[in-house]
Amino acid sequence: MLTIKNLHVTVGGEEIIKGLNLEVGSGQLHAIMGPNGSGKSTLGYAMAGRDGYDVTEGSIEFDGQNLLDLEPEERAAAGLFLAFQYPVEIPGVNNAYFLRAALNAQRKARGEEEMDSMTFLKTVRQSLKDLKMDEALLKRAVNEGFSGGEKKRNEVVQLAVLQPKLAVLDETDSGLDIDALKIVAEGINRLRDGKRSFVVITHYQRLLDYLSPDQVHVLSDGQIVESGGPELSERLEAKGYGFLEKAPA
Amino acid sequence: MSAALEKLAAVEHVEDSYDAVRRRARQHLMQHGFPDLKTEAWKYTSLRLLDKREFQTHAPARSPAPQLPFEGQLIHFDQGQLRAETLQLPAGVRLEPLDAAALADVDYGDRAGALAWLNLARFQQAWRLVIETSQEKPLVLATTTSTDFAAAVHPRLVVELAEGASATLVEVQDDQGEGLVNIVQDFELGRRSQFKHLLYRNNQQSAWIQRTSVTVAADADYRFHALDLGGRLTRHDLVVKLTESGARGEIDGVAFVDSKQHVDFHTAIEHQHGHTNSRESFRILADGTGVGVFNGRIHIHRGADDSHSDLNTANLLLSDSARINTKPELEIYAEEVTASHGATIGQLDDAALFYLRSRGIPAAEASALLKQGFAAAPLENAEPAPVRNWLMTQLRQKFMTTESDLQ
Repeated sequence: MLTIKNLHVTVGGEEIIKGLNLEVGSGQLHAIMGPNGSGKSTLGYAMAGRDGYDVTEGSIEFDGQNLLDLEPEERAAAGLFLAFQYPVEIPGVNNAYFLRAALNAQRKARGEEEMDSMTFLKTVRQSLKDLKMDEALLKRAVNEGFSGGEKKRNEVVQLAVLQPKLAVLDETDSGLDIDALKIVAEGINRLRDGKRSFVVITHYQRLLDYLSPDQVHVLSDGQIVESGGPELSERLEAKGYGFLEKAPA
Repeated sequence: MSAALEKLAAVEHVEDSYDAVRRRARQHLMQHGFPDLKTEAWKYTSLRLLDKREFQTHAPARSPAPQLPFEGQLIHFDQGQLRAETLQLPAGVRLEPLDAAALADVDYGDRAGALAWLNLARFQQAWRLVIETSQEKPLVLATTTSTDFAAAVHPRLVVELAEGASATLVEVQDDQGEGLVNIVQDFELGRRSQFKHLLYRNNQQSAWIQRTSVTVAADADYRFHALDLGGRLTRHDLVVKLTESGARGEIDGVAFVDSKQHVDFHTAIEHQHGHTNSRESFRILADGTGVGVFNGRIHIHRGADDSHSDLNTANLLLSDSARINTKPELEIYAEEVTASHGATIGQLDDAALFYLRSRGIPAAEASALLKQGFAAAPLENAEPAPVRNWLMTQLRQKFMTTESDLQ
């Protein structure tokens, strides 16, 4: 599904990702953990194609395509979804309109029929219900005036409606209380159908408790320095990231 | 003295009751002259365009009435002339010629008010629209020109809203020509009346000058919503006078200018009495080589204690060659007053653009969506809903190249 080879990314002239390798198979959920400043969010943005996140070396292959050749919207249509750590407020654009525009733009790009409004509304309403979100949010501007938790849950609503092949979740757990965390985790688990893949970027283990990842990777100073099973995240939770300073690069 | 002034003010012998009014106005006009860029209120808006044009004195061709998707009672000024045959006035509303006596003492000051003096010197017929009872359906005041319009016309209208009455006036201005439309309006709102005033303007090459002066009596409510989609040269002066306790005025507007367009809104809210309230929010989006000007003046007069106002202007520069001049202007001479103001000029938000694109929305559509969202904010509370929906549709059509994709 996803193969990242020797990825180097610079932001504002400074190299943040320094030769990262990652392989995520179809249907798998991988967690990427690491301390602040290790390059977690940069990885997400580089995958989604944000301006200013320049890939200077290496490759990202996604579902048989070279992701780096594609514009952000083409990456989305190809099946990539990035849940933002800080979802952006879009004043004046209502949530329902935005979601439908996004969904139909993707479908159009893939040569598929647009979704009619009845089916669309049904899908969105179910997703909102699953994430215990008020339906009134559909009529509000995208993320505007949403609480931190609502913004994060709204990302998972979008994920559920857009049905990507690969979802990259950038610290979707941060700022969530324990109830919201559970709701978000359930939302993610509901979408695990054996084909869809996930890269879950997180600072803490607590979200992973609900997600049982196939693999856990430790990102430090722009490289994956250790990979393992769920036991790795438990160790990190217990001992912290302090050991990284002593770990050989 | 400019060539335009000589041309436009040239006397035409019309024998009617307005003769003395016109002569007096012409004297003032000739004494003061036209404003130029040294005139403070006109420093960003040049009238040189008027020098370059030859204006016909009449506009015989007829422009069609606008087709609107909401119900309304049409008052159609076609190239400056009232189309009496299409007039539909409901019970409680009448339109009649304005007495010359009502115009005997009007004063537009010095050269900053020259265009209003010009209107008074050259208008053909002044009208008085009297609304005596509350009106459910909006009155639609359409001002249109056709593609061969090259005249100078000076429509003049007084609107009187009776005490306690409520009414909606939707102005629909659609210019297709390249003349001069120089409108003067005076609205008088009786005590406890409620007046919703909406304006849609979509102009071509004409110079379009409008001065609207609104007097709001005790406990009356004036609400203005404007959507201006640009034109070659547009200048709108809106003065709202809160003359008695409890009077309230609200202005919400948005203007979009693109290459070779210039739109200038000068608004003034005069708190002439204590216990008056106002709120204003105005946005400009400028693309290409477009120029947008906004000057929002809040004047709280001496003794107008316990008055409150809030003024906010936000602007979006969409190209390197576009220009926006925006200025909130507060003058406060009273006590126990709250007056807040804010002004911002920015560009499309890269983070928002990327967010939309990351969801699959192509770049052009994403930026259209952001512009539309920004422009829609001042219209969100416009009433009645059918008119608001129509305005929103006009906005969408302006920004969306592929509207059907997003419906």
